[in-house]
Amino acid sequence: MAASEIHGHGQHAGMWVFPDATVISQDISAKTRSMPKPFTIALAVTGILFILGVVGFVARAADSGFDEIAPWGYYMAMFSMVFMVTSAAPLAAVAFRFTKSHWRRPLSRVSELFSIIGILNVAMFIPLMLVLPSLDNPAGVVEGQLELRRTIWIEGPIGAPLAWDFLGVLFLALTSMAILWVSAMPDMAESRDTATGFRGWVYRRLSSNWYGTKRQWNAQKAGLALLGAFYFMIMIFVHFEISSDYAQSLIPGWKDSIFPVIYSVTSIQMALGAILITMFIMRRWGGYEGYYGKAPFWSASKVLLGVTLLWIYHLFAFFITFWYGRMEVEQNIIKYLITDTYAIVFLVNLVFTFVAPFVILIWNPVRRSAWGPSLAGLLALIGGLAFNIRIFVGSANAAPGAKLYDSFMEHVPAPVYPDVWDVFMVIGGISAAIFIYLAASKLLPLLSLWEVKEGTMYQKWGKLFRGEYLILAKPE
Amino acid sequence: MVAQRVDHKWGMVVDLDRCTGCQACVVACQAENNIPINTKDYFQQRRAYEWIRIERYWEGQFPNVKAKFIPILCQHCENAPCEPVCPVFATYHNDEGMNVQIYNRCVGTRYCSVNCPYTVRFFNYWEPVWPERLRNQLNPDVTVRSRGIMEKCSFCVQRLRRGEVNVERRGLEPLTGERIPTADRKLNYRQMKEGNYLPSCVQACPTNALQFADQHDETGPVKEHFDEANEQIETREHGGHVDESHTRVYRLFEEIGTKPNVVYLKKVEPFPVEKA
Amino acid sequence: MQEGTPLQSRQINAELLRTILNSPKWFWIAISILGLIVLFAMAAAGIMINKGMGVTGLNRPVMWGFFITNFVFWIGISHAGVMLSAILRLSKAEWRRPATRAAEILTVFSLMTAMMMPLIHTGRPWRLVYWIYTLPFVPYDYARGIWPNVRSPLVWDPSAVYTYLTSSILFVIIALVPDFAVLRDRTTGMSNRIYGMLAMGWQGNPRQWKLQIIAGVLLSALILPVFVSVHSIVSWDFGMAVSVKSWHSTIFAPYFVVGAVHSGVSAVAFVLIILRYIYGWQNYIRHEHIDALGRLLIVVATGWFYFLVMEIIFGIYGREADEIAVRSLQFTVNPWAIWMLIFVVITYFLPVAIWLSKTGRRNLWIMSFACISVNIGMWLERFLIIVPGLARKQLLTFDWYTYRPSAIEWILVGGTFAMVSMLMLFIARVVPLIPLYDIKEAEILRTSIKIGRVSVPATFRED
Repeated sequence: MAASEIHGHGQHAGMWVFPDATVISQDISAKTRSMPKPFTIALAVTGILFILGVVGFVARAADSGFDEIAPWGYYMAMFSMVFMVTSAAPLAAVAFRFTKSHWRRPLSRVSELFSIIGILNVAMFIPLMLVLPSLDNPAGVVEGQLELRRTIWIEGPIGAPLAWDFLGVLFLALTSMAILWVSAMPDMAESRDTATGFRGWVYRRLSSNWYGTKRQWNAQKAGLALLGAFYFMIMIFVHFEISSDYAQSLIPGWKDSIFPVIYSVTSIQMALGAILITMFIMRRWGGYEGYYGKAPFWSASKVLLGVTLLWIYHLFAFFITFWYGRMEVEQNIIKYLITDTYAIVFLVNLVFTFVAPFVILIWNPVRRSAWGPSLAGLLALIGGLAFNIRIFVGSANAAPGAKLYDSFMEHVPAPVYPDVWDVFMVIGGISAAIFIYLAASKLLPLLSLWEVKEGTMYQKWGKLFRGEYLILAKPE
Repeated sequence: MVAQRVDHKWGMVVDLDRCTGCQACVVACQAENNIPINTKDYFQQRRAYEWIRIERYWEGQFPNVKAKFIPILCQHCENAPCEPVCPVFATYHNDEGMNVQIYNRCVGTRYCSVNCPYTVRFFNYWEPVWPERLRNQLNPDVTVRSRGIMEKCSFCVQRLRRGEVNVERRGLEPLTGERIPTADRKLNYRQMKEGNYLPSCVQACPTNALQFADQHDETGPVKEHFDEANEQIETREHGGHVDESHTRVYRLFEEIGTKPNVVYLKKVEPFPVEKA
Repeated sequence: MQEGTPLQSRQINAELLRTILNSPKWFWIAISILGLIVLFAMAAAGIMINKGMGVTGLNRPVMWGFFITNFVFWIGISHAGVMLSAILRLSKAEWRRPATRAAEILTVFSLMTAMMMPLIHTGRPWRLVYWIYTLPFVPYDYARGIWPNVRSPLVWDPSAVYTYLTSSILFVIIALVPDFAVLRDRTTGMSNRIYGMLAMGWQGNPRQWKLQIIAGVLLSALILPVFVSVHSIVSWDFGMAVSVKSWHSTIFAPYFVVGAVHSGVSAVAFVLIILRYIYGWQNYIRHEHIDALGRLLIVVATGWFYFLVMEIIFGIYGREADEIAVRSLQFTVNPWAIWMLIFVVITYFLPVAIWLSKTGRRNLWIMSFACISVNIGMWLERFLIIVPGLARKQLLTFDWYTYRPSAIEWILVGGTFAMVSMLMLFIARVVPLIPLYDIKEAEILRTSIKIGRVSVPATFRED
């Protein structure tokens, strides 16, 4: 252990305190280089499952082709699952960098590294472009049907919706990788001369101009702020696109203005969960215990609790409006997504996204630990999977064929269960994301070195009256 | 001996093909229900009380223009949006399928009116006044409302109650006073057209465009239309499609799901106006 | 983040208690002007209750107008208190300290003012007596077993608002106890006795402080759900109305809450600037505090704008003729379209442009201008939600109409503003609007860290 926690401050034991800078760099770079056995096994397993997913995808494509959206419901759910986690994860770094929270420092690289999976998102989105039904009703004007199905692209800009959706997903991936690049540049520059092989090549290519001058630091910070703000806006926009084009507009008559918000909130919750789990695993088995400390868990758990409460709040806002409205289509949608067709999936969603994390996170002793918030995060991920299945499988199968162009969903369809290819695809897609993340973690260390080093400068212990407390500086 | 009370479910059918827009119903309603006198100011401020009103719509381009009329009154919805929102239970549903207003309870939040899709609830913005010579014209069966409360069409509930007492309980023919055999002691609208328990608008309608009866009354004039309307709702609920070109029956704003107890019959257009 | 010179406790006491029981000439002038306006508004309300609602501009489709708009507006203002006190206390933002008390008291007064609006807006406000007093011999309502209709949003509404009012008052009082004790020790006679009673035996010993802090944190956590529920429920007054197309939107609850925080925090920033100006509290309400509020407001405003855009997009999304009718009234028909444009500009683009620049955030004149513009805009927002929705309620075009507020409504709306200002002035005379102990605590906790040659301001953290 190169770094150690200072004990003896009672409740402050969780605060991270580091030795000098060179030791951190060497230790972390050694950790990044090493390939312990569990890691290799995990890489192999996820790789095999990834291939299984590809098999499932090919089989599904051969089976049903790309004409109908209905067979692709589970694929959509899987895509959305991966997309939700990876699109919102970099936001954790971005947002808490904005608020100048010190506890984010060990957490930010873990969250930024998720942006690499953006490549997978873009790749997985391409088949979805093929299956999206056209906006125009192919049958033309039929009584009781719409000429142009409901869509956010009313008299749409050119290329809507596919071009815009694709551009959104692509830009999101590119921006998040740009954030990763700008943020990791000082770290890469630091070890570009010592790193070897592929890593060394990448480091030299990507950080060739970095010398750490004051001007470069200022530019880097300004760049991160600008990219962060930009990323946030694109993310909200793409969530809005995906949740409307691939979910809401596929259920005739579902007019629910809060749904994109629920989607974003779920996404942020899942991303936080994924970050916490990653940190927990690396802390427990990856030797990062001295670096992560408990402060990020403690503080992130508050945010997680907040997001969990926001989720139930938004869901209730949706539910009560539809429940009280009692219009036929509203009742049908409630029956379809909540009480009848996907009732069990909804229950899983509710329990794992709200009830269980809430019960865990309201306990201060549990929140102060590392495992508590991580467990809540894991449950949130399970709940999120149920959310995606409920919403996307539900949307894909709500109105087969021409019924999609009806003004209202007039009857409640039966649930659709996954077949073996669906299971393959869901497991494979998620494994692919984990595989890419694992591989990426060997390319870049899971700790933002410059941020942590910066953090050590801003904190010290100080005496106040009879006690010793942590002093935190907040630079303007 | 008081006869067994019959369970009624009242309903009205408005045949738009017969409506000439003569406004007789409006006047009859005004006279029957102690509705304050609508002055010019009331109309200009859009505060006129018309428990039943004739809405006039123009169709087509000049010179080929047609006027269309639709009488609109409280639809006495089964799922009335006005009912759950009243904080004081001033409006509720009685067991005869009517939406009733209890003036004493009303505090005048006007939420019911806001939530009424048909805009048929009327608020007493001023204390209603009648000229001295009209004081004796007021109907003693109907409450005179004060300012600050909501009012609306009641299906002339006072007439129904009187008819109920006359026919069902006392067994007397309402107009002639003859005794009715016990078996026949229920309100029967086909025979009793001239009785005093039709809503005043129905009674006044010169073309029989408005018809009122018990929805379950086999002999009544409205049963067939209500059956058809209910069938439409059933079909829709089970995912079927209602071909609207083959039926005249419809309900106003069906998609809101209010299930009104007033059914409209479409106007038959032998010479439809050409759409520009 | 900390500017200004360190302050001594003695100086803090002297400066912050300067306003207490001390009434300069301008105070009475201001009070009498505001009082006149309030009296005028009371007279207007009297006329309205005496003659009936006919004196307003309301009509059949538009049954709700200025009063409900004003009600929602003041409820919105009240959201600043908890936002600043509870949320920032729980997130340990140092810059909250001088703003909390003013925000909480503003919360209490704006809630009281807000609840008067639906009351005088009813047709028969005197029936409130039957609601409140459940006397056995009064032959009305509760005494006869007729309870309120719990399905009605208008019953949820007062329940939530009065819960919020009660907890806000508690919150203010708990935070005031140490300051009451300070006042008790510095007054004589009657006021000494009153402050003594209010201070509830506060001696400032560790146990009392501990209890006070625990109570504060607990109340902050407990008041948060109430805070969210209040404006959600106010929004559901509209959202539950299935017949008004543009209201029946699932996003209304969070949209209203964020909007409330937007207008409320702006209002508090404005109140702080006024306090700084009239009481000369430059050492306490510093540029950094207003600056921090400005930065918080950028985030809140942008969140609010996102909800606004969602609300509009999904309004048009349905492409139902009745909804399109409302939207086209809002966006294409004058004067609504002009008001809409003004509203979006003065609520979002103009203030956010100001807040994005540091000069804008640190210039008090520009900042006041931005805050006022937000509040005018948020008032307009509620108006533009309520009235066009009702004016084009359904497709019975025969019943479409518009709304022109009458003089009485204008006077009453103006009266509420005068009333809140007057109450704030009065309260500033009896309690310190900046918490003394909170400022002193901040002075103790503030320190600095030297990094190289730079000294960075820092604070002691307890966890």
